[in-house]
Amino acid sequence: MTPQALMDGLIAGSMIGLGAIGITLTYAILRFANFAHGELLSWGAYLAMTASGVIGFAVPQLTVPVGPFSFGWSLPLAGILAMALTALLALVVDRALFGRLRARGSAVIILVMASFGAALALRNLLEFLYTSQPGYYTRALQISKPIIDGMRATPDQLLVLALAAVAVVAVHLMLTRSAAGRSMRAVAENPHLSAITGVDVRAVIRTVWILGAVLACLAGIMSGLLVQIRPQMGHDLLLPLFAAAILGGIGSVPGAMLAGLIVGLAEAMTVQVIGAEWRAAVSFVILVAVLLLRPQGLFGRVR
Amino acid sequence: MSSAVLSTQALISGYEPDMPIINGVDLTVSDGEFVVLLGPNGAGKSTLVKTIAGLVPVHSGRVTLKGNDITEVPPHRKLAHGLAFVPQTENIFATMTIRENLQLAAQVLDRPRRAARIDALLDMFPDLGSRPGARAGALSGGQRQMLAVARALIIEPSVLILDEPSAGLSPKVVTEVFAQLRRINAAGVTTVLVEQNVKAGLQIATRGVILVEGRIAHDAPAEQLLGDPVVSQLYLGGTPKELA
Amino acid sequence: MLDLVAYGAFFLTIALTYAVICLGLNVQWGQTGLFNVGVAGFVAVGAYTSAILTTPATADRFGGFDLPIVVGWLGGGLASAFVTFLLGALTLRLRSDYLAIATFGAAVVIQLCMLNLVPLTGGPFGIGFIPRPFGGLAGDALAFGLANFAVLAVLVLVVYIVLERLVRSPWGRVLRAIREDETAARGLGKNPVRYRLEAFAIGGFVMGLGGAAQAHFIGFIAPDNYLPILTFQVWAMLIVGGSGNMRGAILGAVLVWGIWAISGSVVSAVFPADQQARAAALQIVLIGVALCVVLLVRPRGILGEVRVVSRHLLRDARPSVSAKERSDNA
Repeated sequence: MTPQALMDGLIAGSMIGLGAIGITLTYAILRFANFAHGELLSWGAYLAMTASGVIGFAVPQLTVPVGPFSFGWSLPLAGILAMALTALLALVVDRALFGRLRARGSAVIILVMASFGAALALRNLLEFLYTSQPGYYTRALQISKPIIDGMRATPDQLLVLALAAVAVVAVHLMLTRSAAGRSMRAVAENPHLSAITGVDVRAVIRTVWILGAVLACLAGIMSGLLVQIRPQMGHDLLLPLFAAAILGGIGSVPGAMLAGLIVGLAEAMTVQVIGAEWRAAVSFVILVAVLLLRPQGLFGRVR
Repeated sequence: MSSAVLSTQALISGYEPDMPIINGVDLTVSDGEFVVLLGPNGAGKSTLVKTIAGLVPVHSGRVTLKGNDITEVPPHRKLAHGLAFVPQTENIFATMTIRENLQLAAQVLDRPRRAARIDALLDMFPDLGSRPGARAGALSGGQRQMLAVARALIIEPSVLILDEPSAGLSPKVVTEVFAQLRRINAAGVTTVLVEQNVKAGLQIATRGVILVEGRIAHDAPAEQLLGDPVVSQLYLGGTPKELA
Repeated sequence: MLDLVAYGAFFLTIALTYAVICLGLNVQWGQTGLFNVGVAGFVAVGAYTSAILTTPATADRFGGFDLPIVVGWLGGGLASAFVTFLLGALTLRLRSDYLAIATFGAAVVIQLCMLNLVPLTGGPFGIGFIPRPFGGLAGDALAFGLANFAVLAVLVLVVYIVLERLVRSPWGRVLRAIREDETAARGLGKNPVRYRLEAFAIGGFVMGLGGAAQAHFIGFIAPDNYLPILTFQVWAMLIVGGSGNMRGAILGAVLVWGIWAISGSVVSAVFPADQQARAAALQIVLIGVALCVVLLVRPRGILGEVRVVSRHLLRDARPSVSAKERSDNA
C-alpha cells in the first residue's frame, strides 16, 4: 500500500467512522438498524451549503478563504447552523414516525422498514429541492502539499482528519465520563432498569438523535467539502457505515471509528489493487467476514 | 398508629387489556412496616409490585405514595416520590462498575447530595465499598443483590420494594441478604418483599399478605400467619392428606 | 379499440411479472417476517441468469447457451434461491435486522457485478435479444400481447397455487408455529433457523423466477432496471395488498403498478422536460411518505385481511411487556 493510498483511506475512513458512530449509537439505544441515517449526512451537507450560501450572500467578506483552507468563515458558521437543523430534522422524524411506532410496541423490523421508507422520502426530497446536479461549498481549487515522501494532502483534508479525531475523543469522553453518557450506556444495556433507576429514557433517546445527527452532519459537510454534495451521497455511504458499525461492535464508539478507518483503508487498497469500480463491494465483503467470523464485532459484547 | 406510606385502591392491572392479573387489590403499607407478599405461583405477587413500580399497565384503581396519587407517574419519576424498586432479574448494570451503578442512581438527587449518598452506601455494604471500580457483571449472586439494593437505597426511599431477591441464591446467601434487609428496615425504611419461601419470608417480615389469583386472601401480622394452622398447612409444606 | 386491448394486455403482463416477484416477497415477509431490502438484486440475478442461459451465442460475451425459455426461468429462480440461501445462512442465526443490512449490501454488490462483469453481463449496456415467448407472433401486436398475458397469467396462477399449498402444508404450519411462538416450536424440536432459511430461499426462487419472466417479456435488460427503487416498488405492492395475503400480493402488484404507470405518465405530460427528474423525485417522496403512513395507520395493509407478520414478532419489541418478563412473572 503506497503512503498516498494510506492517506486517502484515512480520510475516507474518518468520515465513515463519524457516520458509523451515529449508526452504532442509535442501533445500541433505539435497537434498530436505521436505514435513514445516510440521509442525515446528505441533509446536513445540503443544509450547510444553503446556510453557507445565505451567509456568504449577506456578508460577502465571510467567503474569503481562511488561512490555507478553501473556504471562508461562512462554512464553519453554516456548519453549526446545519448541525442544529439536522438534529431538529432527526427529532422531527423520530416524533412523527419512530416514536409512534415505539410507543405502539412495533417489532424491530417494522422500525427498520419505516426507516427505509423515511430514507427514500428524505433522499428524493433533496433531489426534488436541489436536483441531482452536484453542489460544492467552494469553487476554490486546493493544491495538495507533500507531507512525507510519497504522501500528499490538502489543508482541507488535514483539517477533516483533525476534526474527526477531536469529535471521536469528545464523544468517547462524553459517553464514559458524563452523566448523560452514563444514562445512554444504561439505556443501551437495559431500558427497563434504566427507567426504574430514574433515567428519563425519552430524554436519552432525544440525546442520541441529536448526537447522531450532529456527527452525521459533520461527516456530510466533510464529504461535501472534499468530494461533492449529491442527494445520493449519504445513501452511497450507508453500506460502509453499517459495515463499520457492525465491525466495531454495536454500541462501541471507539470501535465504530476504528472500524471506519479499517473500511476506508480497505477501500483505498482495493482501489489501488483491483480497481475503483469495485470500491463499493469492499464494505459488503467486510460485513460478510464479520458476520461469519465475529458477529459481535471487534469491541462488541456477545448478545 | 403510624401513617400509611404506600397504598393501592381497587387496583386492577395486567399486561393485556382484557386479561387482568391483579383483580382488585386494596393494600395499605404503614410507615416502618416490613410486608412480605406471599402466594402460590401465578398469584400475581410480581405483577402487583411491578404495577406499583409502573411497569405493568393499570386498568383501574389507584396507587398512592405518601398521599400522592402516583398511578400515572412514569417509572423514572416515581423515584422522586420516594419509591424504589428492585426487580427480580437483571437488576444491575452488568457492564458498568459498582460506582457507576450508584452514580447512575444518584443522578436523580440534587447535585450536592450525590457524592455523600454514594459514599454512605459504599460504607453500608463493605463488600461493594472495598472495590467500587469492579465491574458489576463480575460480582457474585449475593453481591449483585446487595448492589441492586444499594442502588435502590441511594434516593433514601420512603418505600423499598423487592421482587424476590432470594431467587437463584444459595440458602446461606439468602440468609445474609435477608439479614441485611432486616437491618435496612430496622433503620426505618418501609419495605415490601415478594417471596416464594413462606416461612423465611414470614420470619423476617412484620406482616404477611397472601395473594391468590390476583386478590388478597390473607393479611395479618407475620407471627399470627406463622402460627395459623390453615396457612401453615396450605403454604408451609402441609399436604392435602394432612388437611383432610 | 384493439389497440386498447393490446395495451391492456401489455400493462397487465408487466403487472403480473411484478405479482410473481411480490408473491416471492410475501413468502419471506408475509409468512415468515424476514425483511429483504435487496429485492432488486435477487430479481436481477434471476433475469441475468435466464438471459445468459437462453440468448443466442454472442462473440464478446460469456453465455448465450440458446437454451429453452423454461430452462432459463428455472435457472433464474435457482440462481436467486442460491444467493438468498447463502445470505440467509449467514445472517438468520443473528439479529433480525442483520438480514436487512446483508440483503441491502448484496443488492449493492449485485448492481456492481452487473456493471463491471462486462464479459458476463454486458456491463452498463446489459443484454439484449432475450428470446420472448411467442416471438413468432411479434408481427401481430394483439395476438402477441394476449399470448404473453396468458403465459404470465398461468405462471402467476401456478406460483399462487403452489405457494398456497405450501403454506397449508405441514411445513407451512411449522413456519406459522415458529412465527407465533418460537420457544414452543423449539420445544417441539423444530429448528426455527432452518425453516426461516427454507422460506427465505423459496421466496428468493420465486423472485428470481419473476425477474426471469420479466426479462423475457421486455427482451432487454440493463443494470438500470434493477436500482433500489425496484425493491421499493415491490414493497409498496406487498404492503398495499396486505402482507401475508397471497391474493392481496397479486392485487397489490397490479394496483401499485397501475398507479405508478399513471402517475409517471402524468408527470411526463404535465412537467416540462427539464423538470421531469424533479417531479419523478417528488413522486418517490410521496410513495416513501405513503409507506410510513401505512405502517403508522394501517400496519395490516390497505386491503389486508390476513394478520400481518405475527403477533409474536410484534410483541417481541414492545418496551414494557416482553414475553420474557411475562414468564418471569410469578
